[in-house]
Amino acid sequence: MRLQVNLTPNWRLDCEMREYSPREEVDFCIVGSGAGGGVLAQRLSRYGFSVVVLEAGPWHDSERDMVSDEAGSARLYWNDLRITGGSDPLELGANNSGRGMGGSTVHYAAFCPRLHPSDFRVRTLDGVAADWPLSYEELEPYYERMEREYPVSGPARYPWGKPHGYPYAPLQAGTAGQKLIEGCVKLGIPVVAGGPVAIPAGAFGKRPHCIMRGFCLLGCKVGAKHSITVSHIPDAIEHGAEIRDRSIAYEIAVSPEGRATGVRYYRTADDGQWTEAEQRARAVVVAGYAIESPRLLLNSCSAQFPDGLANSSGLVGKFLMAQAGPVVWGRFPGPIRQYKAPPACACTEEFYETDPRNDFVRGYALQTVSPLPIAMSHLITDLGGCFGEELITRMQDYNHYAAIGVLGEILPDARNYVSIHPTLKDQFGIPVPYVHFNLFENDRRLIQAGIRKAKDVLLAAGATETWSVDRYAHLVGTCRMGFNPADSVVDKWCRTWDVPNLFVCDGSVLPTQGSANPAITISALAARLADWIRRAAVLGDLEYPPLAEVRP
Amino acid sequence: MLHDRYPGWNVLSQRDHWDEATRQVVLDRVQNVPPFRHLDHHQRRTLEAICDRVIPQAHRPPTKRVPIAPWIDRNMANRVLNGFRFEDMPANDDAWYWGLQGVDETAKELFGSEFVDLDGAQQDAVLQAIRVGEPPGSIWQRLPAKRWWIHVALRQICGVYYAHPYAWDEIGFGGPAYPRGYAALNHGAPEWWEPREVSPEGGEVAS
Repeated sequence: MRLQVNLTPNWRLDCEMREYSPREEVDFCIVGSGAGGGVLAQRLSRYGFSVVVLEAGPWHDSERDMVSDEAGSARLYWNDLRITGGSDPLELGANNSGRGMGGSTVHYAAFCPRLHPSDFRVRTLDGVAADWPLSYEELEPYYERMEREYPVSGPARYPWGKPHGYPYAPLQAGTAGQKLIEGCVKLGIPVVAGGPVAIPAGAFGKRPHCIMRGFCLLGCKVGAKHSITVSHIPDAIEHGAEIRDRSIAYEIAVSPEGRATGVRYYRTADDGQWTEAEQRARAVVVAGYAIESPRLLLNSCSAQFPDGLANSSGLVGKFLMAQAGPVVWGRFPGPIRQYKAPPACACTEEFYETDPRNDFVRGYALQTVSPLPIAMSHLITDLGGCFGEELITRMQDYNHYAAIGVLGEILPDARNYVSIHPTLKDQFGIPVPYVHFNLFENDRRLIQAGIRKAKDVLLAAGATETWSVDRYAHLVGTCRMGFNPADSVVDKWCRTWDVPNLFVCDGSVLPTQGSANPAITISALAARLADWIRRAAVLGDLEYPPLAEVRP
Repeated sequence: MLHDRYPGWNVLSQRDHWDEATRQVVLDRVQNVPPFRHLDHHQRRTLEAICDRVIPQAHRPPTKRVPIAPWIDRNMANRVLNGFRFEDMPANDDAWYWGLQGVDETAKELFGSEFVDLDGAQQDAVLQAIRVGEPPGSIWQRLPAKRWWIHVALRQICGVYYAHPYAWDEIGFGGPAYPRGYAALNHGAPEWWEPREVSPEGGEVAS
């Protein structure tokens, strides 16, 4: 079929896209086109496999659909009904969701730090959470590749975790970002400017460089900021993948032998009507992120798999993690105009690791965030429900605020989970997800420490007053990888223990989350999975279930 | 009395520098206020009265006031979803029906009249009781008052108001900047086309 979509002002994707009949058995059917599914589709199609990606949402045409406007950008989010509960219910939709080509990378801030080596050994080092069945060193070459493919700007030497440098020069910071730097410098806290953020400081291919308009979180109309749509999807299409838009998967089809045989989905046409189809495939990859992936597996229940697919451990949906993301802001006597420049531009990971002096384990990062007017008004009203002249006056100070986002590690806990709501269904008739989230003691202490530190930084930079509001970001962990079929849903390559030709390739597989924004880790895992598949397919390994690992 | 911090700033004056898609979205918001289709007459008047207390606009000329309630009504009519619902809350429509009824119940308990018939100070007292979370009224036994106030009422009212260019004028927001971009990135400086801030004493607020 002919594909015509604008990706940037000077890049119109105008090409033939390979089209498969759903009845035709392809090598891989991938559900989701984000940081995991998009990269995997690109790799697998380059390796010569036939690939169909089912993306629930539409293409976002940069000229027609993307706007410099907060309220006008709701189409980028997953807005379907979900129920949220627990002692600290998460707000869903908006920033922790994505719908459409590229998934949530379309509107992410594009902070792209790596995990630290310690993140892979939290159980060993701290006696809590879990170890990963792979080491930092095993993922490192894939981080390096992704940092060139996204690509990522940042300092030539990044001092935290395993020190490394970034391939593209640091991006310029706005005044709000400079305040984080200034405050850290005054307090003697090591800090970096200009990354790691996936916005190249120069033009990159057909992507112009950044114009500092500050609307990163509403999709980059410029195309300067990375999204999987501009980094990997065009290449996937060029190498023969079909990316099928407006196709929402609702069930994975399984043979009597217990192998995945395809994906059932609803495709919505231009007139809004949808039809049902089943894409046949030799292998299936679920890449719908931490709510939709377990939802799809749990909704794929049958007499053969009464508790849902790949769920013999009972762990599908369990260990949901949201990163703590309280926003801390200060009022400065002089103007800041925080809406200028990308919100992601400076950070410190000085408090990332476990510090025995703390009353909690693990840690947090401090990063710049720059709420636009509506987001700022919601922070202010969340603070205590102020209204009237108090609200208007606080908002009139908009140009005097600089904000810091604390990005804190929440430990995995089986009491935080995604399940299927017993009665409610969405507009397609698919049972909706129920999301249950509680903070526990370590999480609360860590969050309070992060907020205190962020306030110290703002005050040191000259703020006269500070506030904070709880926020959460980055949902991960609900199909965790592990060492054996009893402790996890997938093995170290992201293959499900129960169904030999079924994979999960998104943030769901993360056993722990660190204090790093997960996109680049997800993409690195996807590229690593693709390399494994390339070898395993030749050897016939996809015919047999994975073998358990011996714990180190 | 509110002080005009950016006198004369009119972000819409920059519209020729915006891209077509953004211009359409923003101008549509200014020029095409939807008619009420969903709430009944009394619900509508109650919602408008709440909006007036949350975002007081009486000091502005009538042509510069931002209509808020019609957009909330439109979202209900169009069954706009926002991606989630708290397990202790009803669906959006019911949250508004119950909440508006609850506001009236509290008004009657505190002052013996419906909300729309109270004076401004009384209305504020009603909303204040809801804000702190223990307002009188039977509805609030099944509708968590604080959650309703912050996550339904204030979220949606602020979401409409701060989407409007007249609100951007009030806070000195430069607005959409594609394809022109922003160039003045240091010291919180304005672009050459952006407004200077004026302090209550009349001087320019310096960085």
